[in-house]
Amino acid sequence: MSPVLATLNRLYGWKIRGVRWIEIAGVLLVAAMVFSVYLAKAAAARESARISDLERQISDNGQRVRLLRAEVARLEQPNRLEALSRDAGLGPVDVHRQATVGSLPGLAPIPEPRPVVIAPTPTPNPRPTPTPEVER
Amino acid sequence: MSAQDPHAGARPASSRDLRRFTPSWRWLTEMMWWVEHAFGRARANARPEEDARVRIFVILSFFSAAFVCLTLGAIHAALLTATSGGGVSTHPNAVVRADMVDRNGALLATNIVHYGLYIDPAQVWDRRAAETQIRRTLPRVSKTRLDAALYGERRLLVVNRMTPREKVAIHNLALGGVSFEPEDVRIYPLGESARHVVGNVDTGGVGLSAAERAFNDEIRAAGARGESFQISIDLRVQGVLENELAAAATATEARGAVGIITDVQTGEVLGMASWPASNSRNLATAATYEMGSVFKTFTVAAAIDTGRADMNTLLDASEALQIGSRRITDFHAQNKVMTLEEVYLHSSNIGTSRLSTEMGPRVMRDYFERFGLMSRAPFEIPSEAPIVPHEWSDSTLASLSFGYGISITPMQMAAAMGALTNGGRFIPLTLRKGGRPDVRGRQIVSPETSLTMLDLMRRNVVSGSGGRAEAAGLRVGGKTGSANKSVNGRYNAAHAVGTFAGVFPADGPINARRYQILILIDEPQTYPRTGGFVAAPAVGRIADRIAPFLGVERRADPYRTAVGDRIPAFEDREGDGR
Repeated sequence: MSPVLATLNRLYGWKIRGVRWIEIAGVLLVAAMVFSVYLAKAAAARESARISDLERQISDNGQRVRLLRAEVARLEQPNRLEALSRDAGLGPVDVHRQATVGSLPGLAPIPEPRPVVIAPTPTPNPRPTPTPEVER
Repeated sequence: MSAQDPHAGARPASSRDLRRFTPSWRWLTEMMWWVEHAFGRARANARPEEDARVRIFVILSFFSAAFVCLTLGAIHAALLTATSGGGVSTHPNAVVRADMVDRNGALLATNIVHYGLYIDPAQVWDRRAAETQIRRTLPRVSKTRLDAALYGERRLLVVNRMTPREKVAIHNLALGGVSFEPEDVRIYPLGESARHVVGNVDTGGVGLSAAERAFNDEIRAAGARGESFQISIDLRVQGVLENELAAAATATEARGAVGIITDVQTGEVLGMASWPASNSRNLATAATYEMGSVFKTFTVAAAIDTGRADMNTLLDASEALQIGSRRITDFHAQNKVMTLEEVYLHSSNIGTSRLSTEMGPRVMRDYFERFGLMSRAPFEIPSEAPIVPHEWSDSTLASLSFGYGISITPMQMAAAMGALTNGGRFIPLTLRKGGRPDVRGRQIVSPETSLTMLDLMRRNVVSGSGGRAEAAGLRVGGKTGSANKSVNGRYNAAHAVGTFAGVFPADGPINARRYQILILIDEPQTYPRTGGFVAAPAVGRIADRIAPFLGVERRADPYRTAVGDRIPAFEDREGDGR
């Protein structure tokens, strides 16, 4: 018998009060697995409930958004806006009063900058510049 | 069976009995007994330990295989199955039908949750008080239905399609036995605006007409994904079209009117209106008209494309054209030999009749088919079929050349004019944003012919019958059409149709962005009833107002400055706008 097999046999035969240690270890491992699966499932159920709640909120908000968009569309419909504009005395801008960005300099030329006049150098001030007091 | 079998005499089925069974049953029964007596056989053979080991091994193998299968199934479920997010499998914003929006995202149709009001009479304490309060809060509720629910024996629907606000008002009454059930209702916030494009649905959410019907499956699929469904319409363009069309129709006291605006390069419909909007019949697709001189565009284009004529070709219009017993005259006779350009600008019936009879029935029919004038418009909204001639005599050809003898829908006219002004490609019109991906343009005339026609149409606005369609700096081109309608078998001048098919900008390269505007006024009552007076001004105003939305800049061309001042002095040579 090889040493490995002999070691395994010894381990297998290691008992306490007639119960193999390897069986005790197996039972403990199974218990740990069962508990971890329970924890994982409980956490998943909690997350699932939270996701469902968020999705319900999204759905409710989506409904509200759709309602508001429909109201905005009703208020901004072109026929209504045009009627309101006409009532307010507004109308299409005359073509002679329309301009593009490129044509703006032609309509209102940018004034030439004034020539810079260099003022004569002022005479030095006879009074000495007061030096800031430094706290000591 | 072996001779040592101790239970051989106790078999319930002897070999004689087994004969009664089919071979498969017999085999199964024998196998069962063989397994049952295996331990006895092993003991008889003095090898009971070996038999027990085999049994343990078989059971161990069976359970091992079962657990391996379970393990593999668990691994597959845990790691390889697509996650659904833990909650419901559908999209949180999923609706029965997607919101329908225009090309810029402006809302055209949406689904809003409404509520049905149910009453269970067994839970109502004071029925008279409940009736009074419900009727005061919701006056539109039917008294008969309310009484039937309140004094009946079972839970009944009283009213449906209650708005969320109405629901809150009823809920606040705190009545017993009142309950609500949500229902998805299709809402059209624009009212009658764009109704002929958008269409409607039935109470079950199935599209009944227009885009709602044409894209029914796609809209429902987009709704399940929580997305919007876009169509090609531009709501700003649609609004301008509707307002100007209504203004033109009201000003001319017309019976009906149609307006269509398309992008000639993609075939997208940017605006489509049928006046009066209260009429559910969409005249753009469901009505056919003889459109008159607009057809001269097709006759001249065919003559140029076949090489039979060019701008300088001379046609004798010095006297009326006699075809058999029929005498064809011009509305304003020039009584001279005219160039092809003059024939178009003077809208000479004689000139185009000569062209069509020279081309003959085969060529004319071929070109009419190419322009899509002989068959229904290939469009998402089903169209009326055109009324086409059965025989193609010279007299018919003459009539066809100036737009009589054939009745087409405005959609057909819009598609044909688009093909003439986009480089010669016939592109079916569509409400699908970006154009139809499954259809490629069909070359029907050469790009050179298309360029020539664009120039000719521009000249027609600058110095021909379409002068009232001019919009400053937008280089509008087009052709007027005026026709009398047939009443009791005779053409009656009191029942006219005035049309203008315009395009802008008419200059620039052949593949430039270009837009086609068709306005048709049905039975105008003001005089003159010609297209140049009743339809062309609306085209000019529409082009002027929609150009900023479409990104068309005002520019000078050889005929007009960017602000519309004339370069040479052009004017309407006839002054009749025909």
